[in-house]
Amino acid sequence: MTKEQRLQKRYSAEKRFKWYGIISICMALLFVALLVTKVLSEGTSAFVKSTIEIKLNFDQTALNLPEKPTTEDLNAIDFYSFAIDQILKTYPTSNRDEEKELIKLFTTDFEFEVKDFFLANTNLLNQTVSFKITASSDLDQLHKGNYAKNISEDRRKISNYQLKIYDHFIQNNKITKVFNVYFFTNGDSRNPEIAGIGGAMLGSFFSILVCLIISFPIALLAAVYLEEFAPKNKFTDFIEININNLAAVPSIVFGLLGLGILLNVFELPRSTSLVGGITLALMTLPRIIIPCRASLKAVPPSIREAALAVGASKVQSVIHHVVPLAMPGTLSGTIIGLAQALGETAPLLLIGMVAFVVQVPANPLDPSASLPIQVYLWSESAERGFVEKTSATIMILLGFLIIMNSIAVYARQKFEKKWI
Amino acid sequence: MDTKIKIKSTNLNVFYGEKQALFDINLDINQNEVTALIGPSGCGKSTFIRCINRMNDVIDICKIQGEIEMDGKNIYAPNTDVVSLREKVGMVFQKPNPFPKSIYDNVCYGPKIHGIAETKDDLDQIVENSLKKAALWNEVKDRLQEPGTSLSGGQQQRLCIARAISVNPEVILMDEPCSALDPIATAKIEELIDELKTTFTIIIVTHSMSQAVRVSQKTGFFHLGKLIEVGTTEKIFKNPTNNMTQDYITGRFG
Repeated sequence: MTKEQRLQKRYSAEKRFKWYGIISICMALLFVALLVTKVLSEGTSAFVKSTIEIKLNFDQTALNLPEKPTTEDLNAIDFYSFAIDQILKTYPTSNRDEEKELIKLFTTDFEFEVKDFFLANTNLLNQTVSFKITASSDLDQLHKGNYAKNISEDRRKISNYQLKIYDHFIQNNKITKVFNVYFFTNGDSRNPEIAGIGGAMLGSFFSILVCLIISFPIALLAAVYLEEFAPKNKFTDFIEININNLAAVPSIVFGLLGLGILLNVFELPRSTSLVGGITLALMTLPRIIIPCRASLKAVPPSIREAALAVGASKVQSVIHHVVPLAMPGTLSGTIIGLAQALGETAPLLLIGMVAFVVQVPANPLDPSASLPIQVYLWSESAERGFVEKTSATIMILLGFLIIMNSIAVYARQKFEKKWI
Repeated sequence: MDTKIKIKSTNLNVFYGEKQALFDINLDINQNEVTALIGPSGCGKSTFIRCINRMNDVIDICKIQGEIEMDGKNIYAPNTDVVSLREKVGMVFQKPNPFPKSIYDNVCYGPKIHGIAETKDDLDQIVENSLKKAALWNEVKDRLQEPGTSLSGGQQQRLCIARAISVNPEVILMDEPCSALDPIATAKIEELIDELKTTFTIIIVTHSMSQAVRVSQKTGFFHLGKLIEVGTTEKIFKNPTNNMTQDYITGRFG
């Protein structure tokens, strides 16, 4: 082979290698794009909901109120019958079945929506106002174009009669889309139109908080001890190997540990974010210790020597100099560990956080779900309305993960100091 | 000048694991003098001065036999407090290693942890005096809050000297303090060393013969962990008794 041929061969090898890299990156980007488009196209519609505008006539006699109503009187109002009366006025029905079909177009919670609205605006007594009631999930899905209309009636969730009512509403501009506050404030529900991730978000928040409070101090102290104080011998090598092994243990095993120890031995309350947080802390601990040790190791020994040489004790040199310098690394390691914990599903399934919880938890001792669990629960639901909610929850979850990872990167860059 | 022995090392042997780094070192360091330690790389000079402030303690595999006495007290006696020893024996390293903090914080750290200064004014005074003694005050007095790492190499090394003298030590160990510096910065540090010896006892490890001649009164020559020859600087450089010393200082090996 001549020199030119060898040169040619080397050039083409380099070019080939460059293209392998570009193709790999394109493949990775393609998968990301696929995920994002799928989630976005399915999920964005969950952030709005359809409402039906109806006239509410808060007539004193219709509400069965005395001349000067007291708070007790107001609370005793039969809003169910009142709301049904008002709903039936929106479309002329001829029999009981038609009435039922009309009522089914509204959310099952219409009674409470009207009640909350009136109790917040009692000055509207004896006045007629227009009010937007949340539509049922079926009408919502129909309005968003997720139901096919041109299939036979028995295969549709919406009957022909309901379609007629829907067309009537549309013609009179009664149906509008508004921002779906319920999605962010409500707990889970069997009815998609009032189901929300408020409970799951708080559950996740409490779990992560418990996880942070437990895992960060333990991980930092363990890392500082192992890195700065522990004698280097067989025993510490053994500990190091086991920490690395622990970081690779499948997360469901930690779930079993939580179930076996926390629930069965210590009898902590089931399905709570406290237990979830402790279980996640067990899982996160080794994943935080490893980056903490790495960042402690990255602090140059000259800084330790400098501190020792002016007469700082070992503890002073570590607390005053080494740990603060390692902080950017330990913080970003911790945040990334927590981000992993936030997306963790399997261990939480085993400690019962998969329960159907309607109430929004007020503290870590209340039963609750978490965001990934909510995704899991809704993805199994049959109702069409949960499909978009599943994707929207994934969007929120990914949003939190992106925010946390950005904070980690920012913290690292902001607080990192150059020492040489 | 009446010379008094400040540090006396007797039959000092140092081992790193299986390997012996120093063999039976017997060396007297005079008070208020500059003692230079010379010798080829890896000969144990640095190991020796790190024994004086027990910096080798942090190395797990390091074992020390023999005695080093300071003012007549063995610093390796079991009841010695390492922290107060290091308060008395400051150290300046080969590479300038200021803390990544402000110039002020670099100097005030030692006095703070030892509780030398009672008030903020005292602390300010100590910082000013230390920086003045280190011949750095005029260059940094207007920017004490700037990071110490923003200074030039020579300034950083003087900052490290200021940090070492801020706790008012009796001895300062210097481990090749000028090896990372340019000739002008080196000249400044040497001038400084000459002034400092009136207050402190200084031991300097150096690879530069001319530096040893310029700054020191006494010189020790190390080779392969042994102290080959020790004497006044004048004698070592003009009339060495040992052939190896002769060869080393004339540049025939090393």
